[in-house]
Formats: sequence, C-alpha cells, structure tokens
Amino acid sequence: MIATGSGCAGLWRACSTLLPRHRLLFSAAVRAQSSLSGDLVPRTSVSRPPWPEQPTVVSEEEERRRHAAVVSTVNQRIQRQDFGRLFAVVHFAGRQWKVTNEDLILIENQIEAQCGERIRMEKVLLVGAEDFTLVGRPLLEKELVRVEATVIEKTESWPKVHMRFWKRHRFQRKKIIVQPQTVLRINTIELNPRLT
Amino acid sequence: MTSRGTPSRFLRSVLQNGVGRYICQLKRISIIFSKNAQSSLGVREFIEEGVVDYAKKNPGTVVYVSPQSCRIPKIVAEYLNGNVKEEIVTSKTPAQISELLTKLTDQSGLDIIRIRKPFHTDSPSIQGQWHPFTNRPPSVGPIRPQKQDPQ
Repeated sequence: MIATGSGCAGLWRACSTLLPRHRLLFSAAVRAQSSLSGDLVPRTSVSRPPWPEQPTVVSEEEERRRHAAVVSTVNQRIQRQDFGRLFAVVHFAGRQWKVTNEDLILIENQIEAQCGERIRMEKVLLVGAEDFTLVGRPLLEKELVRVEATVIEKTESWPKVHMRFWKRHRFQRKKIIVQPQTVLRINTIELNPRLT
Repeated sequence: MTSRGTPSRFLRSVLQNGVGRYICQLKRISIIFSKNAQSSLGVREFIEEGVVDYAKKNPGTVVYVSPQSCRIPKIVAEYLNGNVKEEIVTSKTPAQISELLTKLTDQSGLDIIRIRKPFHTDSPSIQGQWHPFTNRPPSVGPIRPQKQDPQ
C-alpha cells in the first residue's frame, strides 16, 4: 500500500517489486508475537503468510524515488490510454457498488433525474484497471476520474408482503409494501492523467 | 414470510437500452372510457386537460383515446418487448391519472417480479479472480514445503 503525495490517491499493485511491503508484514508479525498471551487471532496456517518474513530497510529517499517511478509509469499508461477495461467502486444510494462499463444497477428509491438523463457519480472510492489500481483516501478527485450513468427505468418493486403474526394471541397484521426503484446503466468510466 | 417460492428474474434491460442512447419503451397507450358513466369522470377531465400535453411530451408513444360504453375505464399500455399492461382508473382524479401515465412511461415493460440481485454485469472480473498469491511480492520466491521443527 503506497500512498501518493497528493493525499488523494494511492497506487496499488503497480510494479509490486517496488513496494516496501515487507516492513508492514514485519511489524504485524512483531505485534502478534508481543501479545502472545492474549492473542486475538489463533495461530493457524492462514493467520500469517506461509513465507518467512524478510525485514528490509528502505531509506526515505529510495522510497520517494520508487514512488515517483510508479506514479510516472501509471501516468504514462493513462496518457496513452493503455489500460483495458476499467472498473470503479462508487458510493451511491447509501451503498458501494463495483461497476464497470455497461453495468446495470438497481436503486431502491427514485432519484430526481428523468428517464434517459445522464448523471455523474462523484463519490468514487476506487478505480482499477488490469495492471494498476487507484485507491482513494477515502475518495478520488473529481478531475481524476469521471463515472457516468444513464437512468433507464423508474419502476416499482414487486409487492412485498410484510406479515406479522403472534401465535396464540389472535394477532396478525399484513402489510403489502411496494418500493419505488430506479435502474441505472453505467456508461463510461474515464480516467485523466492527473496523478500526483 | 420468505419469498423463495415466488417467481423471480435477474436484473436486465430490453436490448441493451441506454448503452448508446435511451429509448422510451412504451409503444402505445389506449385510454378506454365511457362518455357518460360516473366512474369515467376523472378520465374525461384528464382527456380535456392533459392528454394532448402528454402526447406532445412523448413523441415516441402513440396515444389512442377510445370512448366505449364501459363501466370500468382503463388504460392499456403496450411495450416494445410485447408486454401489455392494463391499469384500471375507476374514479381517479386527473392528477392521479397523469401520475399513473408517467409511471407507465418510465417503466420498461419487463415483468414486475422479484429481482434476485440488484446489479448485473457482463464482465464480472477485470483483474482476475483473487487467489492467495495475488499481490504477493515476487522477491519472496516460490513456496516450498515448510521445514518441520526437530522438537
């Protein structure tokens, strides 16, 4: 997990040789050993990685150099549009959706946009291509990524039956709930080379 | 109670609607009412007030107004995928009828039954399925069987 200087975007998985990941693993292992008596996680084959920890010390300057290399590589890829299909994690209607182009999404409410209108989803938490992933802390910048969707249907849910029954008390209530719904089609996920 | 036994479908759209552009799925609407019955009063008012506006606003939809001698006025909506939906508008006000018409216009004509998942995707994975060695630093080297401790 390497974080970029702008404080908005993190790079993941790009040139994973460059990432100073061992330190993280090492610190976690040290913590686990220090609280040996009251371990929350039992020691099994999956609680720790199966390879031995390798403590490596990377100087700050070296780390900065590696970070700049990763950022420039990813920026070049974005400039050349040399990534395949993108996916994004957007926060919409109170939940997070992993979307890609031509996806359908069902929202359990109706939004103000009319059918056929395009909306832009601004809360983008993560954008991933085949070879790199940009992780927001918590959101990605608006200039960096643009996710657009079309409202294609505003409909109603099927009549859900909400039944309450209290046995031996001669009590029952039946309520039929019809919830307004909206179907969205994800049109585009665009990425601008503005990574810093 | 549970709804396992009810008919269900997955989330879908008619013919990739909205990928290039959006097309209103309502093809034809016919308003069937009586010229003198009391139950058609609201429909007659709606035809005087709002039906022309509705037809102008939705040029992709054909609107038929057919007076018949019937007790129950209704609106029959036909969709591009061939589904036909009837709505009964007995003693409804013009505002309620126009609301109903916008609802019918915005729908796609697919069956209104339980939808199993609130999302649909044709490309479920971009970076490949996760496995225990995803994002593993290659400096670690290949995995070997663990050495047994001589204890």
